[in-house]
Amino acid sequence: MESSKQGHREVLESMYSVIALIFVLVACVELGDAASAVDVYRLIQYDISGVPLGSRFASLNHHASSMHFSPGADLSRTVLVIPIRELDLSFVKEYISRRQPLGGLLFLLPQIFSFENKEGTGDSDKHHELELHKNSLLELEQSLVHANIPYPVYFAFEDDNVNAILADIKRNDASGQQATATTGGYKLVVSAAEPKKIASPVITNIQGWLYGSKADGDTNQLPTIAIVASYDTFGAAPALSVGSDSNGSGAVALLEIARLFSILYSNPKTRGRYNLLFGLTSGGPYNYNGTHKWLRGFDQRQRETIDYAICLNSIGSWDNELYVHVSKPPENAYIKQFFEGISSVAEELGVKVGLKHKKINISNSRVAWEHEQFSRHRMTAATLSELSVASGLLERTGGLSDGRHFVNENSVARAVKLVAESLARHIYGYQGKNIEIFADGSSLAINPSYIGSWLNLLSQTPRVAPFLLKNDPFVLALKKELTDHTDEVIMQTEVLEGMFTFYDSTKATLNVYQVASVTFDLLLLLVLGSYLIVLFSFLVIVTRGLDDLISLFRRPSSRKVKTA
Amino acid sequence: MTVFHFFNCAILTFGPHAVYYSATPLSEYDTLGTSIKAALVYLGTALVKLVCLATFLNVSENDNFDPSQELLKALIGFIDVAGLYFALTQLTHRNISQNHKFQAIGLGWAFADSVLHRLAPLWVGARGLEFTWDFILQGIEANANLVFSISLAALGSLMWLRKNKPKTLIPIIYACAGIVATMPSITSYLRRSLGWHFPKVVGFELFTSLMMAIISWQLFSACQRPSSA
Repeated sequence: MESSKQGHREVLESMYSVIALIFVLVACVELGDAASAVDVYRLIQYDISGVPLGSRFASLNHHASSMHFSPGADLSRTVLVIPIRELDLSFVKEYISRRQPLGGLLFLLPQIFSFENKEGTGDSDKHHELELHKNSLLELEQSLVHANIPYPVYFAFEDDNVNAILADIKRNDASGQQATATTGGYKLVVSAAEPKKIASPVITNIQGWLYGSKADGDTNQLPTIAIVASYDTFGAAPALSVGSDSNGSGAVALLEIARLFSILYSNPKTRGRYNLLFGLTSGGPYNYNGTHKWLRGFDQRQRETIDYAICLNSIGSWDNELYVHVSKPPENAYIKQFFEGISSVAEELGVKVGLKHKKINISNSRVAWEHEQFSRHRMTAATLSELSVASGLLERTGGLSDGRHFVNENSVARAVKLVAESLARHIYGYQGKNIEIFADGSSLAINPSYIGSWLNLLSQTPRVAPFLLKNDPFVLALKKELTDHTDEVIMQTEVLEGMFTFYDSTKATLNVYQVASVTFDLLLLLVLGSYLIVLFSFLVIVTRGLDDLISLFRRPSSRKVKTA
Repeated sequence: MTVFHFFNCAILTFGPHAVYYSATPLSEYDTLGTSIKAALVYLGTALVKLVCLATFLNVSENDNFDPSQELLKALIGFIDVAGLYFALTQLTHRNISQNHKFQAIGLGWAFADSVLHRLAPLWVGARGLEFTWDFILQGIEANANLVFSISLAALGSLMWLRKNKPKTLIPIIYACAGIVATMPSITSYLRRSLGWHFPKVVGFELFTSLMMAIISWQLFSACQRPSSA
C-alpha cells in the first residue's frame, strides 16, 4: 500500500512537468490575463530627532483605485494610483496634512524621468511638459518628505502595461464601482518585510592632494586651496535619487578641475606654488555633516595653511548667471581676491557672477551652504552655485526630478572653465592678464565628453548616503578617479550622526493581480450547483427513469419520518 | 484566486465524475472497484506514454505545429486505446453487465486523467491572487473529457466485447473510435496551428464530445437491439 502510494506520487511528479509545459503553452496564449510585476520605489522613511517622517509602512495589499473615485468613499483599504501627469497637488497635500486614512499611494512617474531612459528630450514640446512636471514634482516631494504618512507610498514608472491597468481601473471607477472585495478589480500587492532601522549609517569623504613645488622642500608649508563638492543626495525615493544637478554637477566639475590641474602639476615646470586639495564630501543634505567631520579631522596647522576653499554646488543648469555665496563680509581679502579673479574670467566668458553674502547663525543647526561649515571652522570659503538663495533642509538635494535631462553639460563645462581659469591665474600670478590657460583646442582644453560621461554615470547612480555601503562600487570609482588625478588620496569613513535615522527597504516589486469578486464566486457556485443537479437528474432519468428520481427524493424524507 | 474559487473549480472539475457515479446504476452495483482498477491502468498507460514521448519525440523550441511530430504524438496517443483495451478485456471484473462495465471503466479513466492533469495546476493556481478564466475552462474541459472517455469506452466495448453486432455498423464504430482516440491531436492542432484560443478550443471539445456521445449512444443501442431480440 505504502509503495503503491509512493509510486502514485512519483508518477504524479513526473507527469507534473508535462502538465506544467501544457499550461505554459496555455499561459502564452492568454498572456493578457497574467499577473504583472512592476518595479516600485518606496518613499523614504526617516526620523529627525525621533520625529517620524516619510512613509512608515512598506507592505501593501489593497485594491487599486484611480483619482476618479466616488466622493465620500472609504479609502482606508484602497491604493490610490496617481499619475504625475494628472496630479492634483492640492488634493494630495490636503490628504496628507489632514492625515486621512488611505490604503496606500502609488505615483506613476512619466518614463522620461527614469534614469534608465536614454532618449533625449530634443522635442521642445516634451521639454516644456517636463518643466511642468518638474515643478509639481518638486512641490509634491517636499510635502511628502516633510510629512508623517501612516501608509505605504510608492513611485513607479509608467509603461504600456501599467497604463493599460490604470485605464482599466479608471473605467471601473467611472462606472461607479468602488474596487472592493465584492466587486473585483485590481489588487496591488507588495510583500515586503517591515522596514528596519539602518544601524549606524556611514558617510565616506574622499580627499585628494596635489602638492605644489617649493624651492626648498617641505610642501606642508605651502598655502593650500581647497576645492570641495558633496556628492551624495537625498530624495523622496532613495532608489531614484540620482541628483544630476544637486550635486552631481559639482562632483563632476571637481573631477574635471582635478584632471586639468593634474596635467599642469605633473610637469615640475608648471607645478604651482600652492597645494591643491580636492574634497568629495558626503552627508551634504544633512547640514553638510560629512564636511563637518572632515574639517574636524584637520589639525590646527593644516587648517591655517588653507587659504580658502571653493565649494561647488548645483552648477549644471544655469544660463547666464552664477552666484558666489559667502558668509564672511565681501571685504575679506581672500574673498575679494577670489571674487575679482572669477569676475574677470566671467567677463571674458560672457557670463555674470553675482556675490551673495549671508551671515551664519552659530546657534542655528541648519547649515545651508557647504562653505558655512568652513566658516564655522574659521576658514575662508565660498560656494559657487546657480541658486541665488539658500534652499531649506532636504530641499534641492537630488530629488525625483533632478535627472540627467535637466543638466546641461555645457553649463558644467563653463563653470569648470570659470573656476579653473581663475584658480590658475591666481596660482601662477596672472591676475588681470588676458591669458587663457585652458584654451579650447589646446592640450589643456576642457573635455566635454569626460564631463558628459561622468554626468551620465552619476545620473544613473542613486547616492543617498545611508544606503551607500562603506565600499560601494561607486565610492570606490570616485576614489580611483581621484587617485588618477592627484598625488595622495585619503578615504575617510565616518558615522553619520546627529538627528537622522533611516529605514531600509527602498525598492520592491509590486504585483498587480486582477481579482474576481466574491459575488462572482458565489454566482459561480450557484451555477455549478444547479449544473450538477441538472446533470444528476438527467442521468437518473436517462438510466433509471423518472420514477426513480422522484422516489430518490421521497425515500429519505419517509425514512426520516420513521426514525423520528 | 481565493480558496473559494479553488473550491468552485474543483467542483467543476471533479463533481461530474461523482455525480455520474451516484446518479447512474453504477453506484447500485458497487462498481467502484472496477473504476479504481481502470484508474490504475490509466496510471500505467500514462507512464508508458511518457516514456514513449520522451524517447521518440524531439523537444521543439517553438510552439509551431510540426506535422511529423504531431503524427508521432497521435500514434503514441493510441497507447491510450491499448490501455483501455487492456482494462476492458483483460481485467477480471466482478460479474457486472457489459453495460455497466464500460461506464465504470470510462469513469475511472476520466477521473484519473482529471486528477493527473488538472489537480496540480489547480492547486498551484489556487495560491495566486490573479483571476483567470483558465481554471473554469479547464474544469469544463474535464467535463468534455469525461464524456469522451465514456464514449471511447462504449465504442471499445462494442469493438472488443460484443461478438454479434450488425456488420454495417462495424466501419462506423471503428471510424468513431478513431476520431475519439485522435481527439487530443485534433485539439492540439487547433490550438497551435490555427492559433485558437483556449475558450474556443474548449467550446469545440464540448461540442464534439456531445456529438460523439450521442453517436456512440445510438450505436450502442443499435447493437443492443439484435442481441436482445
